[in-house]
Amino acid sequence: MTAAPWVALGVALVAAPALPGIVNRTKSLLTGRRGAPVTQLYHDLAKLWRKGTVYSRTTTAVFRVAPVLLLATAAAAACLLPLDGRSALLTFTGDFVGFAGLLALGRFALVLAALDTGSSFEGMGASREGTFGSLSEPALVLCFAALALATGGTSLAGMFAEAPSVWTPAGPALAMVAGGLLLLTIAETGRVPVDDPATHLELTMIHEVMVLDHSGPDLALIQYAAALKLALFATMLVDILVPRSGLPVAASLLVWVTAAGVVAVALGVIEATMARLSLVRVPRFLVAAAILPAFAILLLLGSAG
Amino acid sequence: MTPLIVGLALVLLGGVAAVALSRWPSLADRAFVVLVVSGAGTALVPAVRVLLGATLATIELPTQVPGGAWVMGLDVLSAWFLVLILGVGALAAIFGVWYLAAERHHGGVPQTQLGLALLLVALGLVVTAQAALFFLAAWELMALACYFLIVFDHRRAEVRRAGLVYLVATHAATLLLIVMFGLWSRHAQDFTFGALAAATAELGPTRALLLGLGLVAFGLKAGLVPLHFWLPEAHASAPSHVSAIMSGVMIKVGIYGLLRLVVLLGAPPAWWGWTVLVLGAASGVLGVLWALAQHDVKRLLAYHSVENVGIILMGIGAGALGLAHRIPLLAALGFLGAALHTLNHALFKSLLFLGAGSILRATGTRELEHLGGLARRMPLTWVSFLVGSVAIVGLPPLNGFVSEWVVFQALFQAGLSRTPAALAVFGAAALGLIGGLALVCFAKVCGTVFLGHARTAGAGGAVEVPTIAWGPMLALALACAVLGVFPWVVVPSAARVAGVVAAIPAGVLGDLTAPAVSGAGTISALAAVLLGVTGVVAILRAAARRRTALAMSETWTCGYANPTPRMQYSASSFAAPLVDVFGPLAGVTVDRTAGTFATRPANLVLDRALEPAWRALRRAGARLRPIQQGRLQLYLLYIVATVSVLLLYLAVFGGAR
Repeated sequence: MTAAPWVALGVALVAAPALPGIVNRTKSLLTGRRGAPVTQLYHDLAKLWRKGTVYSRTTTAVFRVAPVLLLATAAAAACLLPLDGRSALLTFTGDFVGFAGLLALGRFALVLAALDTGSSFEGMGASREGTFGSLSEPALVLCFAALALATGGTSLAGMFAEAPSVWTPAGPALAMVAGGLLLLTIAETGRVPVDDPATHLELTMIHEVMVLDHSGPDLALIQYAAALKLALFATMLVDILVPRSGLPVAASLLVWVTAAGVVAVALGVIEATMARLSLVRVPRFLVAAAILPAFAILLLLGSAG
Repeated sequence: MTPLIVGLALVLLGGVAAVALSRWPSLADRAFVVLVVSGAGTALVPAVRVLLGATLATIELPTQVPGGAWVMGLDVLSAWFLVLILGVGALAAIFGVWYLAAERHHGGVPQTQLGLALLLVALGLVVTAQAALFFLAAWELMALACYFLIVFDHRRAEVRRAGLVYLVATHAATLLLIVMFGLWSRHAQDFTFGALAAATAELGPTRALLLGLGLVAFGLKAGLVPLHFWLPEAHASAPSHVSAIMSGVMIKVGIYGLLRLVVLLGAPPAWWGWTVLVLGAASGVLGVLWALAQHDVKRLLAYHSVENVGIILMGIGAGALGLAHRIPLLAALGFLGAALHTLNHALFKSLLFLGAGSILRATGTRELEHLGGLARRMPLTWVSFLVGSVAIVGLPPLNGFVSEWVVFQALFQAGLSRTPAALAVFGAAALGLIGGLALVCFAKVCGTVFLGHARTAGAGGAVEVPTIAWGPMLALALACAVLGVFPWVVVPSAARVAGVVAAIPAGVLGDLTAPAVSGAGTISALAAVLLGVTGVVAILRAAARRRTALAMSETWTCGYANPTPRMQYSASSFAAPLVDVFGPLAGVTVDRTAGTFATRPANLVLDRALEPAWRALRRAGARLRPIQQGRLQLYLLYIVATVSVLLLYLAVFGGAR
């Protein structure tokens, strides 16, 4: 094992909070505002980490464990992705199930923490998060299935390391997978048009209302985990679109960071140009995210035989 | 084989002792527990030996009954199911002693203990029987013993109805099995499984019929949609430890039957594999949707059994497709996933039903909307139930994840196979959806039962259950954790089961399942990483907490100063968005009439298909009533008419003989 996956993991952990900053900065510039600096989340995290914590008397240990578990699952999931474009820290056949399972475990913990407060606002947020999460699960699985069919790989490292090199026969299918993953990225990281992190009305929130009672370092953990999750999804998109397995390690990492930044800019453009969907329409959005890779699979099966 | 028979006899003796000593309740309980546990332990020895590679001779009981000897054997497939029958059965029996103690004044408790012992023995015989008549006898004993357990609380009309529906369903299954074995044995020497398997080559088109009959009969027992209609009510009505055995173990006998059918009949045709796969996916998705609309905790768990049987059947369907299209890797992975999920579901579902029993005893209600805040009052039940929930949702690092991981791999391998089986890869999307929906459902259960504030006085006054009740739950939770973190302990044994079902020689099997076995090892590493990272983050978090202030307050309600427990999000409101999205598909709705807000569950097959059909049949029967006049002359006329018709028939068509 070389040092490259470890370096890549370190880069991901350090650079992740910049991504929401890029998204927000892009959105601000496009809507005629100057906006907060790209590094805003670093300042927020540092400030929250120094702040005190308020716990509701209703809550139990679940509420205190959930933020820790959320970050741990995101970090463990990062170990399964080929961040350096070649290999992951942990690889086994079918590890994509582990990736999806770890993210789901984090979601389960956060949903339970929300219900632990006994607040109907947070119950509402938890209900929405669970609903949309359960609809995005089949879409994610279908994306992995399409990648497996396109590349013949049965692990994340195998799929993503091969993906950019099979564009010639499987281009249309890969484009659809990338489209599906982009929609999933928006849904899973709570961006417009699925969720709006900037909203101030609890009744319309999804993710933000679920963590209403978390404060201080706990909130920092949750926000950092959300940024890391965005980085993971952006990495998957980059791994499909940008061939970098042939590059030297340093160049590969540079390409990755730059491309992830471009993904964040794209998300910012989407945020600036679209209004939020009403909550009852979000399931359709997620069905679209599932149909794209499903068509990709049909294309791949048809071309094979 | 001797330890097996001695063990089953000890279990039976335990049941008899419970009745014989019923005048001394505490003595009877002790005798029951000691005999059942020691009997199960004794019988487990040969089962575990077989799973580790030993081969045992079969026993033949020569009999004068037509149909050949009654053969009893223990191969890897039987041993796999025997382990979960005895393991889960013994733990549930211990829990049951406590659970039934509160009912002793009603009477019927000793008989229920005997019924439980009989059920365990019958289950043990069903999976070891190697002859059709013996199998059917054990099957019927199992069905009847279970009926008497279901109607334990027979003062309630709904329980009697659930028992009746169960009895009809199980006998429909028995009838189909009799037809199946009858048709089969016409081509065979006698009724032993060996002779039946030898006759496979001469079956011709009958073989397809046998596969269809077997699928319906065993599907009825397993709770396959749309044959699941008896299951939720029966499982909810039985005493909780019996529900644990029914859901965890008894419906698995249907799975065993399907696998045994594949062993005896050889590679099934592709249509059979597709049918099993599609019905499995439908069971999985619909089961969890029906569970979402439930707010009775035991019915909800029962619907999750439908869901998990669906996952197991998806594995069997994928494996059968692998056999049909000659893809050994797909066959091995499919059956491996099915076997593993059977074991895992037995562990976490019985754990959850025991937890539901504890909740029911502690609070007096099974209604989710009346519970809340039990995490503080029943910490051990909570921890066990949480482990069971995470396991059933299929999240790492618990055992449910491992078996779903194998089934996912099977479906992906189908996609990679470049055969008509490739379309099975869409089953993976169904499996993903099932996982996501199950997460919501168990977040709902855990959240409304254990977290937040108590919604009623009953929930507010709950106290933790005693050792005899949480002991079995914690043991099952530990088993879920061990099999989730160290799956390589069981994956090789499950692979041997798959090898028997798919008829793959041991050497080839080792190569085919090597990635799954090594992957199981890496899952341990993943669990270690998760644990390690959690530890590091927790240490950092604790360091931050030491430097900063900590304040306790009320939950933030956007400035509202006087919240009540009734203002909490309810189970119905939590599930409402998904019920709204999928309701039309599953026949469930959200009731939003004035003053109510509740998800309205439905038993579609029973309420909308079987009961109307039964009523139509009765109406048609009423039309026939005029022929029954009660007058002797008329009946004599019927006899004369019948005899004349028969004579006429013989006169016209009888010449050939």
